[in-house]
Amino acid sequence: MGIVSIKEKIIDSIQNNLDIKSVRKILKLISNPIVFFLYGLSFKSVSDKYLNKYSLSYMREVYCGNHPIAYGSLFIPYEILNSLNLKLILPEVMGGFTAGLGVTDKTLSNAANNWYSADLCTFHRSASGAANMSLFPKPDFIICSNLACDAACKSFEDMAKKFEIEDRFYLIDIPYENDEISLKYLAVQLENIYFDISDKLKIKPDINNLKKALINSNKLRSHLLEVNKIREELFDYPQYYNGLSYILPLFGLSGTSKAAELYRIMEKELKAKLRKQIQPGKMKKILWMHLKPYYRNEIFNILEENGCRVVCEEITDVFWEEMDPEKPFISLASKMISNPLRGNGQNRINTILSMAEKYKVDGAILFSHWGCRQSNGLARILKDRLAEIKIPLLILDGDCVDKNNCPSGQIKTRIEGFTEIINSL
Amino acid sequence: MYSCGIDIGSVSTEAIILKKDDNDNFDICSYVIGRTGSDIKTASENIFNDALLKAKIKKEDIKTIIATGYGRKNVSFANKNITEITCHASGVLSVFPDVKTIIDIGGQDSKVIKIDKLTKKPIDFLMNDKCAAGTGRFLEVMAKALDIELENFGKIFFNTNEKIEITSTCTVFAESEIVSLIGHGVDKGKIVKGLLYSVADRIISMISRLGLEEPVSLTGGVAKNSGIVGALEEKLKTKLLIPFEPQVTGALGAAALALKI
Repeated sequence: MGIVSIKEKIIDSIQNNLDIKSVRKILKLISNPIVFFLYGLSFKSVSDKYLNKYSLSYMREVYCGNHPIAYGSLFIPYEILNSLNLKLILPEVMGGFTAGLGVTDKTLSNAANNWYSADLCTFHRSASGAANMSLFPKPDFIICSNLACDAACKSFEDMAKKFEIEDRFYLIDIPYENDEISLKYLAVQLENIYFDISDKLKIKPDINNLKKALINSNKLRSHLLEVNKIREELFDYPQYYNGLSYILPLFGLSGTSKAAELYRIMEKELKAKLRKQIQPGKMKKILWMHLKPYYRNEIFNILEENGCRVVCEEITDVFWEEMDPEKPFISLASKMISNPLRGNGQNRINTILSMAEKYKVDGAILFSHWGCRQSNGLARILKDRLAEIKIPLLILDGDCVDKNNCPSGQIKTRIEGFTEIINSL
Repeated sequence: MYSCGIDIGSVSTEAIILKKDDNDNFDICSYVIGRTGSDIKTASENIFNDALLKAKIKKEDIKTIIATGYGRKNVSFANKNITEITCHASGVLSVFPDVKTIIDIGGQDSKVIKIDKLTKKPIDFLMNDKCAAGTGRFLEVMAKALDIELENFGKIFFNTNEKIEITSTCTVFAESEIVSLIGHGVDKGKIVKGLLYSVADRIISMISRLGLEEPVSLTGGVAKNSGIVGALEEKLKTKLLIPFEPQVTGALGAAALALKI
């Protein structure tokens, strides 16, 4: 039995037996050393293999039933939750997981049956459907913030009601301004959440664990800075690397030593590539905004075939300063508040323009994910501002989770048309 | 030297054969328009053979064949495939070299292409998304619902003073709306006028996003419908430049690009 047929059998099994038990069985099966060895042969890099191996063991921990579970939105300080040994599930990861397994039709249909509007972001709709269908373990805590994403707040509040854990639902309110008062306001919220969760877990808060999490997070930051620096210089860019595949370690697992280790491996791997680089590559450089589709798709292959490669992503930009482990809450508040998606749209625009210039990109793509107002609302201004520095922007309407909302023929023509424009410049 | 461009659209397929002279100018030797049907491979082979026959040349005489349109990847005998965006731009510019905005309304898609005035190359484009409103198919469905030949839409547009607002943009809902209006005894001419304005509005929404720059050219099969031309010219307040046979513009552009290879 080949690797492809093993993968297909696994996916087929999940699609036909949609429940938590079948997912557990599948995770156990893939974790078998022989199966994992065969599965591992399909990984194109050491860091990719490490990511998959680690994600798998993490998912097994999530599903084993021995750990408290927290659902969390993308931009919350996961360092706090990891220091409390919570096992984490992110809607972006849940949506990606369901899309990758090809069960989105079912999870979206379930969400629709529960009054989720069709214009709500499919990450959250699919995650809600999957949670309703008990495809993921029941949460003990739900934590979200109103940083960028409003859908998370509302759908998570709904989930908290469904799972009857309204007293364990936390909404972190992000101030509009980045000043001292706002920082303190945010830090107090984080501190309260930390102590409240500790209290509900009936554990004595160990601030040293939190400090360690910040040290690990700083290590990740420092490796990621190096990775990004290498990517600025690496002309003949490794095809396999795409920062959009690293949502779980970059966000959900920040504060863990494993996530820091992953970025150390990545740095080492890319450095070796850079050392071997002899002459400038011929690929045109692309900046990618927002996330990517997580079901099987041809977008990045089409770009490659047409001489274009994504060399930087908005999501992998290091926007925050190194944190002070001795001042964990104010440091984490500072990290959150530095996010370019907070506050005035100019913050995001400045970040994008700076990345475009730093990486010397030839073009940019904004993947306009259905229902994501925070990202799509700025499309016009981003297009105009990038045009001022002679960088064409393709606003690619699609869906990261629902393949039915992203017709492959239309996507192909748009990308090819865009690459033809870039290649003719 | 001969070249061929083949445009495989969702509804129709076009082929055109060009001959380049010593001064780098080209003549059109033949062009053919046919239905795409369900078998792209057969449609492309048939249309190519018909174009060869009409041009009185053999396949071996053609140096380069470029395929375009949504079925471009399925033309196995083509040397290259290029998107309809680049090909339409090339086709229009070979006829109207000063055009800065191109509107193409095809069977199932419509697009707007912006041309750089200095480089004479496309610099931006927009296409209709996921929905047939504002395309030839939309008009075909409505003509059927109204029981009026599509060719007569132009005459009706210019002979009718009033319009009925068509509020549905979805093809299915718009069809129901029309059936309901007919049921209420509304004059069909007013409905036709309203429909043509609604298609024009969809196109103008795309033009507005890219910014209108004149001269503007209209291509695609729908450009043969004087009603839509009238509605667009009235709303855009500009005269549209329409190539000699607007339906073959994509194929013409593909063939013109093939001459440069």
